[in-house]
Amino acid sequence: MKTLGAQMRKIWQVCVFTLLMGSVAHAGPVTAYTALEEDEIADYVAAAKKALPDVDLKVLRLSTGDLGARILAEASNPQHDVIWGWAVTNMMDPRVLALLQPYKAKGADKLAAPYRAADDKWFAATGYMAAFCVNNERIKAKGLTMPKDWADLLDPKFKGEVVMPNPVSSGTGYLQIVGILQQMGEEKGWKFLKDLDANVAQYIKSGSRPCKAARAGEFAVGTSLAFAAIQSIQEGFPVTMVIPASGAGFELEASALMASSKNKADAQKFLDWTLAPDAAGIYGKYKEIVTIPGIKPSAASVKAGLPADVTKILLPIDFAKSAVQRTAILERWQKEIGR
Amino acid sequence: MSLLRTGLRSAADLDRVFIAVCLIVPLAALGLFFVYPLATVALRSVTEPGGSIGLGNFAVILRSTSFWRATAHSLTMSGSTTAVVLVLGLVVAFALRRCRILAGTLVMGAVALPLLMPSLVQGLGLIFLLGRNGLLTKASGIEINIYGFWGLLIANGLYALPQAVLIISAALRSADARIYEAAEILGTSPWRQFRDITLPNIKFGLLSAGFVVFTVTITDFGNAATIGGDYSILATEIYNQVVGQMNFNLGAVVGIMLLFPTVLAFYLERVASQRQFGSHSDSAVPIVPVWTPRRDVPMTVAAWLIALLPIVTVGVVVFASFVWLWPYRFDLTLRHYAVKVAGGYDPLWTTIYISIWAGLVGTALTFALGVALQRMPRHAVKPIYFVCMLPAAVPGLVLGLSYIFAFNAPGTPIYFLYGSAVLIAFCNVFHYWTQGFLTTMTGLRLVPASLQETAACLGAGLPRVMRDVVAPHMAPTIVSVFFFLFMQSMVTLSAVIFLITASVSVASVSIMRLDEAGFTSQAAAYATCTMGVVVAASIVMRVLLALMTGRRKSAG
Repeated sequence: MKTLGAQMRKIWQVCVFTLLMGSVAHAGPVTAYTALEEDEIADYVAAAKKALPDVDLKVLRLSTGDLGARILAEASNPQHDVIWGWAVTNMMDPRVLALLQPYKAKGADKLAAPYRAADDKWFAATGYMAAFCVNNERIKAKGLTMPKDWADLLDPKFKGEVVMPNPVSSGTGYLQIVGILQQMGEEKGWKFLKDLDANVAQYIKSGSRPCKAARAGEFAVGTSLAFAAIQSIQEGFPVTMVIPASGAGFELEASALMASSKNKADAQKFLDWTLAPDAAGIYGKYKEIVTIPGIKPSAASVKAGLPADVTKILLPIDFAKSAVQRTAILERWQKEIGR
Repeated sequence: MSLLRTGLRSAADLDRVFIAVCLIVPLAALGLFFVYPLATVALRSVTEPGGSIGLGNFAVILRSTSFWRATAHSLTMSGSTTAVVLVLGLVVAFALRRCRILAGTLVMGAVALPLLMPSLVQGLGLIFLLGRNGLLTKASGIEINIYGFWGLLIANGLYALPQAVLIISAALRSADARIYEAAEILGTSPWRQFRDITLPNIKFGLLSAGFVVFTVTITDFGNAATIGGDYSILATEIYNQVVGQMNFNLGAVVGIMLLFPTVLAFYLERVASQRQFGSHSDSAVPIVPVWTPRRDVPMTVAAWLIALLPIVTVGVVVFASFVWLWPYRFDLTLRHYAVKVAGGYDPLWTTIYISIWAGLVGTALTFALGVALQRMPRHAVKPIYFVCMLPAAVPGLVLGLSYIFAFNAPGTPIYFLYGSAVLIAFCNVFHYWTQGFLTTMTGLRLVPASLQETAACLGAGLPRVMRDVVAPHMAPTIVSVFFFLFMQSMVTLSAVIFLITASVSVASVSIMRLDEAGFTSQAAAYATCTMGVVVAASIVMRVLLALMTGRRKSAG
């Protein structure tokens, strides 16, 4: 038995040794955790690899919520070097901020104040915003008029034709109700949400799903994301993108350096690159919101109905406030509206 | 004389060592890959926001109205699904094992179809058919609201039915034809034969199937997310806490709470199965059903009617993957098969590798454990049995996260597994452990004890008895356990999503990513490819198996 034990120990030692050797030999990779969209990531990674040939970039893509669970679960021993393009409301969670290391990325100083952390823990080059996906055929079939703003959805004719993301499970759902609450003020905002509730057929678990339900003709209106609407129109679905006339709620996609990174030099190179001109050039192709000054939206987005200067239609969202109030707002939502 | 005695003693020793290995290896694996990770979750559930240990999280959850609503919903949903699926499962299993129905193998294949695709895609298929803009809805003009209870009942039913059929038919597989002959001679009606002979004999199988159906539907999240609408259940409560609000500790509380109905179900099942009468007689004569039109025609119709829904649901997804723009432009195209997801079809091959390993390891471990448990005293079996029931009650989301807590621990010898495909394979084995274990146990109960005793008396050691007596008897069960684990590993998503890395990913994640990115038809195409691979792999493996057993038979 003793010899067996000794042997087992030896095997372990060999395993651990090779493992360590392995990790020393490959000190190169920079692992990025991201919630950016699938097709844009492919484009960015190709460009980044060209610009930074010596950086071995590895990317794991998960949805915003799944990524948050992953990052926090791994917090005791993070497996990634950077967070790339993740909802800033989630990034502002104190448990996440504690994992980050302040880093002034090259070009971050050109970003306006709301788009970077005062302590340099994160910066956001891009963002996404709320928009309605309206199914033209269902609107026609049901004799409805094309909505222009949130208030239009209160019309009793829309009863059972509106689908929203559930704010408790979806960041998009939360940004939509925060937009309404911060724009109308607490009291009016809650009353509005309750009135709207009468017409809502269901609160779906994810942010892009309401758009998919609307484009498939299941419901007339899905309150979703501009990205999902533009993409659906490009695919050929009979969908109109409606950006709420009184202003759209939005979310920033923030990037940050992990304090635990074992390859900070390369990680910083990559973060610098996300603000570099050649990255910024591609953002215009995919993003409704680019915070780097001077980037125009893509032709497809403009065709889908995105204004040339998006900043004019964005609501003045206070992200710090929205992060702090999150628990209280969601509790109230579950109590008064949640099903 | 003394030589003979030492020979005997060493044979007995060898048997003891064999049983010890059969017991210790699966238990060690169960401890490392299930109990230990689950303990990390239990720890989280009692870790309060300040970091102290206490029951504060439980108080928070127990006070919230949404938790109680979700509990009521979950119990209603799982209870109704269990009732429906047990009846349908019994019909299908009975038709397959005790009747001569038309194309029985195809019925089994059809019923198993939902196991071949992620619940996400199955939900998609149901919406394509029965949604407000679905094919059947438009054709019939009747708009039913499938989002909510009914949709969830159908989706969960589709998913649970093959698992119920698997267990019930393992129970129906052997029975003593002579009892039925005797009943026949005594003039017992077929209905009484069914009620008084068949049902009591398969009670254990029915209870196990009921238990599995109840627990897998109470823990499933995928269906609830796609088709459940506003019908909140406990699994969605966990998702809301963990993924929506990054509050793992509260999610862990709900995860622990989910174990309670299972404990209760387990207890009820045990109590009931203790009253089961006469298990397997020694020299049972296998039943070979004779063509009886009065029984077999209606059973064929019934079985095929039940098989129709999975066929149509899967069929519509496959069809949609070839359609230009569902549901607006029905021109046929292959464009969705050029997938734009990271890694393309590579994850599919990784998944096959993982699934074969999960199937092999899982089958070997459950079989070994089953063999050992049969030779142990009842009081020692009970706790082990109980632990083996728990995996079914743990939602994939909780299991996946628990693996991060357990294995992402540098400085421990198990850390090297973290981020590897091997860990994903083990995760799958223990995610579906209960179903595999119950099927194996149901099958093992039916191996005649006297046959084993005879072999032992003739001087065969346990390993030999296993190889030459038990394994051949169990072959169909072993094969179905392997395929169950293989197929589930090919499509499972909820746990593995937390274990994939930048370089190791699986097919179901690609499908989910495509769907999230808005490429619904590409997701359908990817799911179709996965299904194709599973079907092809199943055929190849079955052919190999047939060749192998054929050769052994001709050699023997």
